[in-house]
Amino acid sequence: MIGHEREVTSTGVSPWKSPVAMSVTLHLLIIGVALAGWTWTSPDHEPPPRSISARLITQQQPEPSPVVEPVDQPDREEERRQEEQKRKAEEKRKAEEQRKEQAQREAEKKAREEAEREAREQERKRQLAEQRKKEEAAQAKEAARQKAEAEAKERERRKAEEEQRRKKEEAQRKAEEEKRRLEEQRKREEAERKKREEEARKEAERKRLEAERRLKEQQLEALAQEASEAQEAEARKQAQAAAAKAREAQMLTESEKYQALIRERLSQAWYPPSSATEEMTARLQITLLPTGELAGVKLVGSSGNTAFDNSALSAVRSLNRYPIPDERDTFERYFRQFTIEFNPRRLR
Amino acid sequence: MTKRVWTMPLRKLFAVTALFILSVNTVHAELLIRITEGADSAVPIAVVPFSESGAVPPGDKVGDIVHSDLAMSGEFRPLPAEKMLSLPSRREEVFFRDWRLLGQRYVLVGSLTRNGDRVSARYELFDVNTEERLLGETAAAPASNIRSLAHHVSDKVYEAITGVPGAFSTKLAYITLDRFNGKPRYRLQVSDVDGKRARIRLESQEPILSPAWSPDGKKLAYVSFETGKPVIFVHELASGNRSAVADFPGLNSAPAWSNDGRSLLMTLSKDGNAEIYRMNLASRELTKVTNHWAIDTEASWDHTGDGLFFTSDRSGGPQIYHKESERAAPRRITFGSRYNARPRPDNTGDFVYYVHQRNSAFHIARTNLDTGEETILTRTESDESPSVSPNGRMLIYATKQGSDSVLTVISVDGGAAYSLPAAEGDVREPAWGPLVR
Repeated sequence: MIGHEREVTSTGVSPWKSPVAMSVTLHLLIIGVALAGWTWTSPDHEPPPRSISARLITQQQPEPSPVVEPVDQPDREEERRQEEQKRKAEEKRKAEEQRKEQAQREAEKKAREEAEREAREQERKRQLAEQRKKEEAAQAKEAARQKAEAEAKERERRKAEEEQRRKKEEAQRKAEEEKRRLEEQRKREEAERKKREEEARKEAERKRLEAERRLKEQQLEALAQEASEAQEAEARKQAQAAAAKAREAQMLTESEKYQALIRERLSQAWYPPSSATEEMTARLQITLLPTGELAGVKLVGSSGNTAFDNSALSAVRSLNRYPIPDERDTFERYFRQFTIEFNPRRLR
Repeated sequence: MTKRVWTMPLRKLFAVTALFILSVNTVHAELLIRITEGADSAVPIAVVPFSESGAVPPGDKVGDIVHSDLAMSGEFRPLPAEKMLSLPSRREEVFFRDWRLLGQRYVLVGSLTRNGDRVSARYELFDVNTEERLLGETAAAPASNIRSLAHHVSDKVYEAITGVPGAFSTKLAYITLDRFNGKPRYRLQVSDVDGKRARIRLESQEPILSPAWSPDGKKLAYVSFETGKPVIFVHELASGNRSAVADFPGLNSAPAWSNDGRSLLMTLSKDGNAEIYRMNLASRELTKVTNHWAIDTEASWDHTGDGLFFTSDRSGGPQIYHKESERAAPRRITFGSRYNARPRPDNTGDFVYYVHQRNSAFHIARTNLDTGEETILTRTESDESPSVSPNGRMLIYATKQGSDSVLTVISVDGGAAYSLPAAEGDVREPAWGPLVR
């Protein structure tokens, strides 16, 4: 984009450089030459004042002469001038200024002298009227010729000017065309850029949407996965619960088995004292080691009969090793600590 | 999502609640094992022979006597001394592991010391399993009375383990029959419960029957035919003085002391039919307790001292009846067979023991007075005269061994039998004396 702008500026500058600048310098040169020509020709006009007879003409005459002379002068002075231009362009301008002023002053002086001279020469002029009329006719003829010449030159100049103008116009047109072309190109490029931008924007939007869609999909997927995971977890949990239940049942039956074993062993080890009655109950809290050995026993409920309590304690202590399940969980759950109740139901 | 977020804590809450309930449950559901039956066998006990220091009289050894006393009870199974790994006499010498290895439940150790004319025994009883000392005492007795000392130790040991006072220091009274110079010789004898130290209290060529101990253990009442007819005598043991308290026409039999020792129940047929009377010993006043056309006899006070058991054939054959008081209506106790006689209640009021005939054999049986359940306790076939020890744990009765009659002691639940060594001839009519403090 920035490149385009640069291009535009460069193309914009070049027309100014070439045709316009050229025309300006050309004009300036022409004016310069004209002025120079005017100064150079003025001394040549000195002779005419001698023929004071034609004041009005002289007044008229200086006009065409500068026009005529300069045309020739540039040709002569061309090489010198170019050299001089190079050498003292600055000096020349200043000299010209001085010369102009001097010329003006001289002209004014000359005019005053001429006026006096005119008055004196009036007579002479009238005298010479006839002669002058002849001369005038020749002169007129000459003037007409000159005029025609000037006109031709003028036409030529105009033609050149026209040509120049045409060329300039052409250049302008071309520049404009170029400009338009550039503008069009710029516009095209702009459009293209815009289009590209639009496309990029659309692409970005599409990508954004895609990303969004993907994100949503991912989220959905994640949700689905989460749901399925939750379901799985639930199923697993249920399975575990069922397994735990089964295990518990197994543990219970396992526990019952060992309860029965312990009951049997203790029944064999227990010697209920003679004083025992069916109302007596001794409760002992048993703590076992995982090896089945007795870690501790505590009488938590006395029967009220020392001998009975002692018999129970003795029975509990008499077992070297309690029958306990190998399953550690079952042991921990049921046999790490439990209570034994001694309560005779069938006395001997 | 929000639903999940909401349900998760709820689930957790449930889980926590469930856990809490579970834990509460487990706390309450601590395993309980109930032991309602004990070993059928007797308690293994090691009675270590007592060490002796000083001039302890030779002869009977305290350890041996305690050993046999406990064995006789049927509740203990003393370890033979030769199986012991060591013979400790004090705690420091007891290695419980050894006794456990020997399968013993208790171990008794002790020592005897002669002090002048007395012998003192220091003894300790240990629970082999709990390693606790259940008993530790010192007792003394005259040097001539070592058996009494031994029986005392037996009593203490028995009580420490069973919670029931021992009855090894009590006496037995019984009648022996032999022939002397071609004539029958009846002798009333009194001995230790193990039959030792028997002493003859009365000798007669005529039958002597139904000895009965006074509650203080100082007198015996019995029936003697020495006058040619049955007469009830009360015999003071210490002095040997005796007096005929019931010499009525007809039958005078089956004396039984009241708890206060002031009166006797007896069977009299002075009015033609055998009835039970109570006699006030001081006034000799009689009170008729039963009045029935059938025979009522063999009365015995129940444990309350107010009611009585007796035998009556009012149902057609001899059966056991109970009167809650002298005036109460009798209640029949036995129904199991056509013959149930000679009731002897225990001191707890739980059981009544009697002679029970079944299939032409006579056994000793008991009936649970609460349930009415009848249990035959003996396997011998000519059993008679049951008598319950004063602690209610043993029972002595007479039975036939070959042609001779012998006394046998069993535990009241029918455990191991222990036959008393018969001195000579027949031994019958045993009566277990009271606990004397």
